Amino acid sequence: MNAALSRRDLLALGLAPALASAAGPAFTLADATQAAGLGAFRHNTGAYGAKFLPETLGPGCAFLDYDNDGWLDILLMNGCDWPGHRRRRSTPALFRNNRDGTFTDVTRAAGLDLELYGMGVAVGDFDNDGFPDLFLSCVGQSRLLHNNGRGRFVDVTARAGLLGRESFSTSALWFDYDRDGLLDLFVCNYVQWSPARDIFCALDGRNKSYCTPEAYRGATCWLFRNRGNGTFEDVTARSGIFDPTSKSLGVALLDINGDGWPDLFVANDTRPNKLYVNQRDGRFEEQGLAYNVAFSEDGKARAGMGADAAWLDGSPYPSIAVTNFDNERIGFYQRTGSHRYEDTAVRSGIAGPSRTTLGFGCLFADLDLGGSPALIVANGHIDDTVRHIRRDVGHAQPPHLFVPSGAGSYRDIAPQAGPEFATPRVARGLAAGDFNRDGSLDLLFTTNGGPPALFRTAAAPGRHAIRFHLEGRRSNRDAIGAIVGLDDRGIVQTAMVRSGSSYLSQSERTVHFGAGRRDSIARVTVQWPSGRKDEFRNLATGRAYRCVEGESPRVLDRF
Amino acid sequence: MQAGNERVPSPTPALLGGLSVALLAVVIYSVYTSHQLATMRDLQERLVDRYRRASLQLLRIQDNLNELALAMRDMLDRNEPYPLAAWSAPLGRIRRDLDDALRSEAALDSSAPPDAGAQVTSSLAQFWSAFDRALEQSRPGGDAEREALRQIRDSLQPRRDAIASQIARRLVHNNEAGQRAAQQVAGIHARVQRNAYLFLAAMLALILFTGTLAIVFNRRLFHRITELSAQRSTLSRRLITAQEETLRSVSRELHDEFGQILTAIGLMARRTGRQAAARQDTELADGLAELQSVAQEALDKVRGLSQSLQPVILQESGLLATVGWYLPVVERQTGLDIHYTPPAHGFDLPAASAIHVFRVLQEALNNVVRHSGSPTAEVRIRRDAGHAILEVEDAGRGLPAAPSGSGVGLAGMRERARLIGGSLDLLSAPLGGTLVRLKLPLAAQPEPL
Repeated sequence: MNAALSRRDLLALGLAPALASAAGPAFTLADATQAAGLGAFRHNTGAYGAKFLPETLGPGCAFLDYDNDGWLDILLMNGCDWPGHRRRRSTPALFRNNRDGTFTDVTRAAGLDLELYGMGVAVGDFDNDGFPDLFLSCVGQSRLLHNNGRGRFVDVTARAGLLGRESFSTSALWFDYDRDGLLDLFVCNYVQWSPARDIFCALDGRNKSYCTPEAYRGATCWLFRNRGNGTFEDVTARSGIFDPTSKSLGVALLDINGDGWPDLFVANDTRPNKLYVNQRDGRFEEQGLAYNVAFSEDGKARAGMGADAAWLDGSPYPSIAVTNFDNERIGFYQRTGSHRYEDTAVRSGIAGPSRTTLGFGCLFADLDLGGSPALIVANGHIDDTVRHIRRDVGHAQPPHLFVPSGAGSYRDIAPQAGPEFATPRVARGLAAGDFNRDGSLDLLFTTNGGPPALFRTAAAPGRHAIRFHLEGRRSNRDAIGAIVGLDDRGIVQTAMVRSGSSYLSQSERTVHFGAGRRDSIARVTVQWPSGRKDEFRNLATGRAYRCVEGESPRVLDRF
Repeated sequence: MQAGNERVPSPTPALLGGLSVALLAVVIYSVYTSHQLATMRDLQERLVDRYRRASLQLLRIQDNLNELALAMRDMLDRNEPYPLAAWSAPLGRIRRDLDDALRSEAALDSSAPPDAGAQVTSSLAQFWSAFDRALEQSRPGGDAEREALRQIRDSLQPRRDAIASQIARRLVHNNEAGQRAAQQVAGIHARVQRNAYLFLAAMLALILFTGTLAIVFNRRLFHRITELSAQRSTLSRRLITAQEETLRSVSRELHDEFGQILTAIGLMARRTGRQAAARQDTELADGLAELQSVAQEALDKVRGLSQSLQPVILQESGLLATVGWYLPVVERQTGLDIHYTPPAHGFDLPAASAIHVFRVLQEALNNVVRHSGSPTAEVRIRRDAGHAILEVEDAGRGLPAAPSGSGVGLAGMRERARLIGGSLDLLSAPLGGTLVRLKLPLAAQPEPL
């Protein structure tokens, strides 16, 4: 490595974000929904006029490689008609990647032809057999589906001991909270609602409208510990997660204090957000207030929907994004002191554009491969008559695409990302994954009552990605919770292998970094969930690596 | 000249005194206002803000007690599949926040009675102790759980309600105390405001007094200056008139006395010369002829000098005729090429005024010759809207950027213009050079002194 900084390096050091934002996006987003064969899917809210609360909130989606062929497949969650009002059959949909930009619907063959009121999905290999399993969060009974490795999922809900746990479940994630090498399951529950418990709410006193969550009691999140024998133990109470006042919609995995133990940030609707800090003894302590991430800057509990966490600007601590209701603005919490976070949304330029949008899915992703992740937000209101009340707020809303513009500021360039991307939608779920293996993160949106939207990303020529497919040995095989660090001539990037995040959705498990125009990375470290730390030197960019815990990385033939 | 010796007292001491009083008043008022504001700020911080913060903490306590009520309701509902002990975590969060709020509220030292905080703390301690015992003793599904639920329903809920009532009373009490403190602050504010108005009124009165004093002194000074100006004007007129009288007297003396003598000498020399010629005394006759010639030359010079000092023609034929006579004389004497534009229609000026106009013309042409370096000059006399205007314009080097010299000639011209009720302007000519313009009203010419 040449110690002297070249102009190329200077751009990577910090000029790139400002120049890129000034010149427009350094990437393109092309709508690949129809070409991929996803255009026929329609989300079924089940709405028939009863205005049931869950109708406005789904669905989620996932990028996963269910057949382990190295190509990302797509799972779209779906609702169904309410009992007594059956009109059509609707199920989640699994699309297998044909490796040519198209997908084939394999729902039935994969055993996912299940009629359920699905909300979200969490993907994780809970039995460490090398094939991703699914947890489908539902209204009512959620499902745990085991991947048999032969292209089919088997419902093991009852066998796993999860049968009978009915709630209004929303986002979920897999993580190894006790670092025993087995993935445990965290499930967010929203409120105590069922068709039988539905409450009549009306704006005009006569016609039923959708209730706000204040009308219902909260519901505790669940934590299920993986016993390693295919069954799960409900440790909600023992772990300190139990809290029936929560109304949780989103959850993000993070390491808030850098101790190597996974923590959880839970976005609550009209209730304070929760930050469960791992006490390393099987218990969590809720410290949302202590870290100042529970409320808005004016002390208000906002309508938290989706959440994501990412290490930004070389900080050793993750920042947190939380989507909220319109007029509440996105929460963008960044570490400003010891154990202290501050909502910097206003200062960073994120608050302004989000004033008139209702955000759901959100995630940090380095779309332009510049080394600084952008924040992408899926927007869409829950009230289709909102335009009558607020002229500047619509039911369908364009997404946000906040790119770094230097000095901690962000600029929403969604309008410049193309008319297809900026098209208003009633979006909910959002996931990222490189489905065409070109080294750029593609985006998948779901819409409430509508079709999905798949966007193929192409970064500007000359920019390189470096990607890591991690596989645990002592750690859980998916390596969820592993933290990968890049260090190259003072530039530090950090990312975690994560499950959950965004809203009801699951992004690819692969760790993705933008390396700009750098040809190599001087030092790469992997902090495994087991506690082991691997370090690799001088890895070339423009490649993907398979990193097995305790082994040297192996270059893959393509991303 | 009594007025000239009168000493006008200087207003400076009085004005300085007023200024000092005003400054002293400002300083005193600033100190007073600072003190009042400090008191108000202290009161606001010490009481109002403290009550506000205390109210916020009490609301926080109330919120926690409400959470506690909801938690107990959910516990009694038994719609969660968890043992009662599972509530330890959420109850622990409520308890920690409650304790923190109570500590914060106590630290604010609000208006509550001294034992009020202790009462609540004691009540809560008993409450949590009972709660902990109930949770510890509870066993899922057994009699212990039913007993714990009974304790929650029959004992803990009423205790919580009682604590909530205490907090509600303290909140009301705190709000009332806050309102009283706010009223105190409002009273101070009103007092400061009233004093500010009083101060403003006092300052206004002082400014009025000082201003009136200044006006009186100014009027006196102006009156004095006017008197002195009038005296100076009178003196100037007298001086100029005396000068003109002297010149007229000298001129007449030269013309009448010396002219007669020289004429007589000439006649006598001619007569004696004829007699000498008759006696064939050629030498004497030639001498007498030469004497006659010298006498005639002297007579011409005396008459010329007499005209210059006080043109008789001015008395006899008026200003315009005098100018018509004078300008060729100047041309001959100085070589200056003068272009004269007389008025389209003649007009008369009293002799007392005409002499001043003539003197201005003389001085202006004298300046052209001496200072302008111009070989030519324009002299214009015209009548314009009840005014007579004399203009002398040269094509010389023009007005100096900064006036130099004593300017006695110019001052004299201005004085003469003022004496006859006119004005004199010294201007830059449109094509360069200098333009002297004398403008005087044709009506109301001053009477000669």
